[in-house]
Amino acid sequence: MSELKTSKSSPKWVADLASPPAHRSKNGSIPDPPGYPSSQTTSSKKKDASKQVQQRKAPTPDEMDTLKLKKAWEVALGPIKSLPMTAIMMYMSGNSLQIFSIMMVFMAFKNPVVGILATNQAFERFETDSNRAKMFTVKLAYVAMQLVALALGVWKINNMGLLPTTRSDWLAWEVQREPLEHAITAL
Amino acid sequence: MKLTPISLLPFLPFLPTLVSAIFQDEVDHIDYHHQLVGLPQRETTFFHRPRRDDKASLLYTLSDVGVLGAVNPGTGAVLWRQLLATNATAGAPARGFLRAGEGEGWLVSALGGDVQAWEAIGGRAVWGVTFNEQVRDLEVMEMTEKERKDVLVLGENGPETVVRRLAGQDGRVVWEWREVGGGIPVQVSTNVEKVFVVSLKGGAAGYNLRVVVLDTLHGKRLDDLTIGAKSDVQGPEDVMFVGANSAAPIVAYTDAARQKLFVNVLGTKTRQEFPLQAGTASVEIHAPHLVQSEPHFLVHSRTATGNHADVYHTNLKTGVITKAYDLPLLPGPGAFSTSSIGANVYFTRVTDNEVIIVSSASHGVLGRWPLDETATKGSALHGVSEVIKRTSSGDSYAVRTAVVTTTDDWSLILNGELSWSRPEGITGGVAATFAEIPENESLVKSLEQEAHSNPLEAYIHRVKRHLDDLQYLPAYLNAVPQRLISSILGTEVSGKQGKLARDSFGFHKLVILATRRGMVYGLDIGNKGTILWSKRAFEIPEGDTWNVTGIQAHESTGKVTILGSNGDYVELEADTGKIIDSAAPGPEKTVQSAVVIDTASGPTLLPIGIDGHISSLPADRLPKQTVVTRGPGGELKGLVFLSNGTGTAETTSWVFSPPKGQRIVNIGTRPSHDPIASIGRVLGDRTVKYKYLNPNTIVVAAVDDKASTLTVYLVDTVSGQVLSTSKYDGVDTTKPIETAIAENWFVVTFFGEYALRDNTAQSLKGYQIVVSDLYESDAANDRGPLGDSETFSSVEAIENPEGGGLPSVVSQTFILSSPISALQVTQTRQGITSRHVLAYLPELQGIVSLPRMFLEPRRPVGRDPTAAEAEEGLIRYHPAIEIDPKSVITHERGVLGIRKIITAPAVVESTSLVFAFGIDVFGTRVTPSFLFDILGKGFNKLTLVSTVVGIAGGVLVLRPMVRRKQINGLWGAS
Repeated sequence: MSELKTSKSSPKWVADLASPPAHRSKNGSIPDPPGYPSSQTTSSKKKDASKQVQQRKAPTPDEMDTLKLKKAWEVALGPIKSLPMTAIMMYMSGNSLQIFSIMMVFMAFKNPVVGILATNQAFERFETDSNRAKMFTVKLAYVAMQLVALALGVWKINNMGLLPTTRSDWLAWEVQREPLEHAITAL
Repeated sequence: MKLTPISLLPFLPFLPTLVSAIFQDEVDHIDYHHQLVGLPQRETTFFHRPRRDDKASLLYTLSDVGVLGAVNPGTGAVLWRQLLATNATAGAPARGFLRAGEGEGWLVSALGGDVQAWEAIGGRAVWGVTFNEQVRDLEVMEMTEKERKDVLVLGENGPETVVRRLAGQDGRVVWEWREVGGGIPVQVSTNVEKVFVVSLKGGAAGYNLRVVVLDTLHGKRLDDLTIGAKSDVQGPEDVMFVGANSAAPIVAYTDAARQKLFVNVLGTKTRQEFPLQAGTASVEIHAPHLVQSEPHFLVHSRTATGNHADVYHTNLKTGVITKAYDLPLLPGPGAFSTSSIGANVYFTRVTDNEVIIVSSASHGVLGRWPLDETATKGSALHGVSEVIKRTSSGDSYAVRTAVVTTTDDWSLILNGELSWSRPEGITGGVAATFAEIPENESLVKSLEQEAHSNPLEAYIHRVKRHLDDLQYLPAYLNAVPQRLISSILGTEVSGKQGKLARDSFGFHKLVILATRRGMVYGLDIGNKGTILWSKRAFEIPEGDTWNVTGIQAHESTGKVTILGSNGDYVELEADTGKIIDSAAPGPEKTVQSAVVIDTASGPTLLPIGIDGHISSLPADRLPKQTVVTRGPGGELKGLVFLSNGTGTAETTSWVFSPPKGQRIVNIGTRPSHDPIASIGRVLGDRTVKYKYLNPNTIVVAAVDDKASTLTVYLVDTVSGQVLSTSKYDGVDTTKPIETAIAENWFVVTFFGEYALRDNTAQSLKGYQIVVSDLYESDAANDRGPLGDSETFSSVEAIENPEGGGLPSVVSQTFILSSPISALQVTQTRQGITSRHVLAYLPELQGIVSLPRMFLEPRRPVGRDPTAAEAEEGLIRYHPAIEIDPKSVITHERGVLGIRKIITAPAVVESTSLVFAFGIDVFGTRVTPSFLFDILGKGFNKLTLVSTVVGIAGGVLVLRPMVRRKQINGLWGAS
């Protein structure tokens, strides 16, 4: 799309010169030579592009709210969509302690917790003064969904036998009964 | 009990994972073995040429522990051994007989009622016969009408005397002669024409010598002679015999006062009298055993301080004995031995400082060699010798003598030089204990000092100590490269040369072993079981046994205390064997057993008197525990001690006597070190079965001989309560029954009947092992009536039967493919490692390590284990336990006559030290749950180090190269 647009306004080489491909430094410890293109230009360019798109649509604030709410619901229900996939993978990885299942359990705990902690950030861009009340239910749903994902993780570690739910898990803290009397055998 | 039919296949795949065989390079590294034959006996030790045409001869002996062995006289290595006495390890020394026919390739031995012939080179059995009577003498007939050598056997069966002539090739009886009421048979002898049976006739007042002359061909009685006056002989031990096969066999005896020696040439009626040197304590007679040798003999008389010898000649025609010459009195016991070349007879005399050979014909010394006293350690007591005449270089002689010394060693002296020495006295061990190598005492003391002074002083003291230690730094630094290299190459770190030091793994310990002959040995088990020192604690008369009731090593002081049954004790240093204190055994048995008790003044070894009586103790030695002893009738009783001001008073708190008709045959007690790592067993469904952990329990096995039953009681030693009983029918009560107890389980092994599950009518007999687990409750997740209480009282359990629970017992029986004895359980430091049951296999001459995983009562019977059970490690119950060669920790070594196995924990949790003694001495380390905490020998440190060094080198080389390339990529002109 962008190619079509640029071809109308200016030749390709002009466009290439104006926005060179992003440079990724291979080695952080070696400084780039002076005047070497840095990554700052690319980020500013991206912002420009998004601004251009928004400017082009120019929707009403009402429409924006509905759109944002819709988008917010999508984000809120996002975690549950990946849940079946996660569940299948967890089931397939077995209950033994291997690097794969350990990493999977770690991710299954980390993602929901991080998600819950970052709830406000996740909906920051959809939140406006007008839809704040509606957004609260969305956030609530989002937290609930993350909790469901967390429950899946708990289910997994329970299956792996890592939850101290049985008597045997507390055996090490139980003490041997001390006999009050002692005897020795001289036979 | 019922057992399912045999189907080994389902759990074959588990077998390799459950047992750990020893690696080849661990042999002689982790284990050690003293291959011994026992102390050679005077009459049954000789040099013998196993091949007629071969000049090489071997040294044969039938020892006091009943082992027949052949030793290479050049190296002292055992060529072959046969254990003749199956029960000799337990009781008094066996009186055996061993003879060899000159030039024959076989030996003949007799012990008890068994007469057996053995191939002289390989030690294989040629033939064997068993008679009802006890064999009293054995002789080889050197010349027979059939051009073969036959065997004469003299037996005693109550009042009956039996003489048999057995064919030398196959042991068939050629003839036999019987007589009832002929007196005590003592000896059979033969010259070429006649057989002489010597017996003692008489009563309590004294005996006459009686000689019955038999015909060699048919065993017909030719003559019956009575020699000498009545009451000449006080008993069979006064009679000394010699020259059984010589041309003129004689019989000799002394009077009770050892003043006169009476000699009779067999076949004549007269006895000839010779005076003995004043102060003679004992007399021995040495004469050749060959028909062609000259009829000369030597009388060796010992006084309290010295020894003296007279040589006599017998006139073959007249039977008159004349004294030829005598050898001077020399200090020490001295040893004489006879050797003959053709008709010439040579006597070898070994004294404390020289070896002399003389011919029987004249008193001229043919050879004299000084003997290094320190090499042989003790004085020679008796020996056998072989004299070689070198005709090439004039008339020079060479002699080798195998002597038994006062330190119970068997040494070969070749021309005055000690060729080899075998520590045969270490056989017949009666008690042993592990002892730590004493730590540097000054360090212990200074640490104690630091603990007791105030912090600042302690700190200054410590800094000073560390500054002092700096003087050892250069030596330490010097040793670092060598240690590093030896560690990488996996070679043995020899430690500080010649100095005993503990190692960090706790493998380097000492074993103190007391033998029944009154010797005490210190073995360095960290260094292939070498004998560090040997000390004679007491002079035990020959044939007697030092009855050791208790042995204890004090870790803090580095001392070992040994208590004997006759009020005797010896205290010595564990690392040097220096005797600190001792008391000689008294005439009477006063001590029944001994036990280590906790008192206010520390642990002490407490002797228990006869019938379980304990003499009054001072108040500071008041035992805190109930002491369990045996009463006069064999019953068990528990004694408690109460202080009554000045002393203590014992009170019997309980008595356990088995029901009428039963007798206690074995009592299993817990090892002193029995740590519990986990108080419950986690089942497959994550529930817990709580172990019944009562340290005050013993297993008592009692048999009823009439009913052939075995009853096993689990007895609480505080209250005397019987916690569990099980009864087994059809048990052979004459076969050994043994028990062992550890943690929450016990095992019992016996020979008994069992029925098959699929055919109950059929009953079989076999060696069985019963294992019983004790749990607090039948149900999982239940701690029984006591609940969560932190203490329990055995006495309260009696008073309140509802409150204190009896254990829930789960038992299972297994059939063993071989009998086992000397049961012992492995011990580790914390008890985390699973336990193995160690047992001696008398028939296979090995020690087996049976995993607890096999001996598991909860194994599912008649079905495959469920997933949860399999997770728990349970395998399908299979009634038969085959002795897997991989689980035999003695592997290819044949270990004879093991009487007891002791175990001790090492510093590392995985390993248990094992030491077995009896006839042989064997020790090793076992790792029941594999070697999980140290790197094995298979770990290649060289590869690891070279890989690390290689990678580091590669990085050092590649790093600048890569960096240069990256900089060029960014900065360089393209």
